[in-house]
Amino acid sequence: MTALKKITLTEPELVQALQSKDPAVLKTLYSMYSPALYGVISRIITHTELAEDVLQETFVKIWQSAAHYDNTKGRLFTWMMNIARNLSIDKLRSKDFKNSLKNQDIENNVSFVDEQNKVTFNPDILGVKQLVENLKPDLQAVLDLVYYKGFTHVEAAEKLDLPLGTVKTRIRLAIIELRRNFN
Amino acid sequence: MSVENLKAYIESGVLELYVLGDLSPEEALQVEEMASQHPEVRDEIAAIEQAMEQYAMQNAVEPSADVETRLFEKLGLSEVEENVNVQPEPIYTEEPRIIRLDGSDAKVRTLRYALVACIALLVVSTAALFITYNKLNAAHDQIASLNLDKQKFAGVVSKLEFENQGLDNMAAMADSKEWATIRMAGQAFSPSAKMKVYWNKKDKSVLINYVAMDLPKTDAAHQYQLWALVNGKPVSLGVFGKTDSANNEALVKMQAIQEAQAFAVTIEPMGGSVNPTMDKLTVMGGV
Repeated sequence: MTALKKITLTEPELVQALQSKDPAVLKTLYSMYSPALYGVISRIITHTELAEDVLQETFVKIWQSAAHYDNTKGRLFTWMMNIARNLSIDKLRSKDFKNSLKNQDIENNVSFVDEQNKVTFNPDILGVKQLVENLKPDLQAVLDLVYYKGFTHVEAAEKLDLPLGTVKTRIRLAIIELRRNFN
Repeated sequence: MSVENLKAYIESGVLELYVLGDLSPEEALQVEEMASQHPEVRDEIAAIEQAMEQYAMQNAVEPSADVETRLFEKLGLSEVEENVNVQPEPIYTEEPRIIRLDGSDAKVRTLRYALVACIALLVVSTAALFITYNKLNAAHDQIASLNLDKQKFAGVVSKLEFENQGLDNMAAMADSKEWATIRMAGQAFSPSAKMKVYWNKKDKSVLINYVAMDLPKTDAAHQYQLWALVNGKPVSLGVFGKTDSANNEALVKMQAIQEAQAFAVTIEPMGGSVNPTMDKLTVMGGV
């Protein structure tokens, strides 16, 4: 789908159409958000085929549980993003994923394990973006773990050997940094 | 809640964890309560959400086009046109039907046909193999019986050749005037026996012809012995085997004898005897 064909609706319009199960809105929703959601998914799952499966599952779930979305609790994108992240993390821990690893040759496996264990920022995947360059490595590491690797903040604290409070603060600082960049 | 406490709450980082979905349901509920009571909290959450949304948009990755096709096929919405106008028509009021992808369906069908074809081929092959096996067995039987026939015929032919040779010789000898034929008749031991001996008048050689003899059967330990009676004394002319011996020659040359008044055959132990065993005198005939 080209950028020209992309259609945007305001969030309340989207939500209303989605909850009345209008099939047309799913197309719009897909063209608006699939790249952003796929960006999140493909950072968690590097295997392209599996990542695309998860993207599909994400939209199936968005479509099927649209009625459960409550706009007083947050933005539509936050809800969708959390569905995408949860499905990705589920996939990451599933048998499917472990089987797909078995089918890769050793070289791929080694690089995969490397990627899994990497907490520093990987510019190949994210692209060189100004906003990210502005983020301090400490903050980036924490955000990366929680946002992309499916770690809870407790797990991230263990992984980085930091106090829980520090992890929470760094997540907050990272997001404040992002907010400053966008405003 | 005081302004200081509210500030501390906002700064604790719990709202970020809320947006990231990293809180337990109870903790999330607390945040939602706080948000409903305090506009500051609500605004902060909205700002965090917007930041995360922007972050995601900045890091967007375009998925391959067929994911969308597969998604709409899976949801059974493939024929729906993209339409900005929101239509309130409840076309899809039911739960979305999950239908299997046509591609995989077709593949399964193809594989099923292939399987059926394989089984059919296997059955035909097995049947053909079975028929061929039976035919081969029948052919083997035929070959065996033909072999048996052939052996029989070969036996008959060799017997006929043997007899023919003997008869030829007999005829040749009867024609020639050199050969005297001595007929020997059965004696008390074997009255029905008979045999001929051919004696050459010129070189005095003696021949016997297996075709021209009918002697009582002997066992493995005994042989026939031909005698010539010379002036009342028996002279051995040699031994010979049974009429059905392996010897192919119908004619057998015995020892020559210068003069004789009579010939006789007795049954003697293998290798022959010095003197004839008179009670086993089978045939005798005078010159």
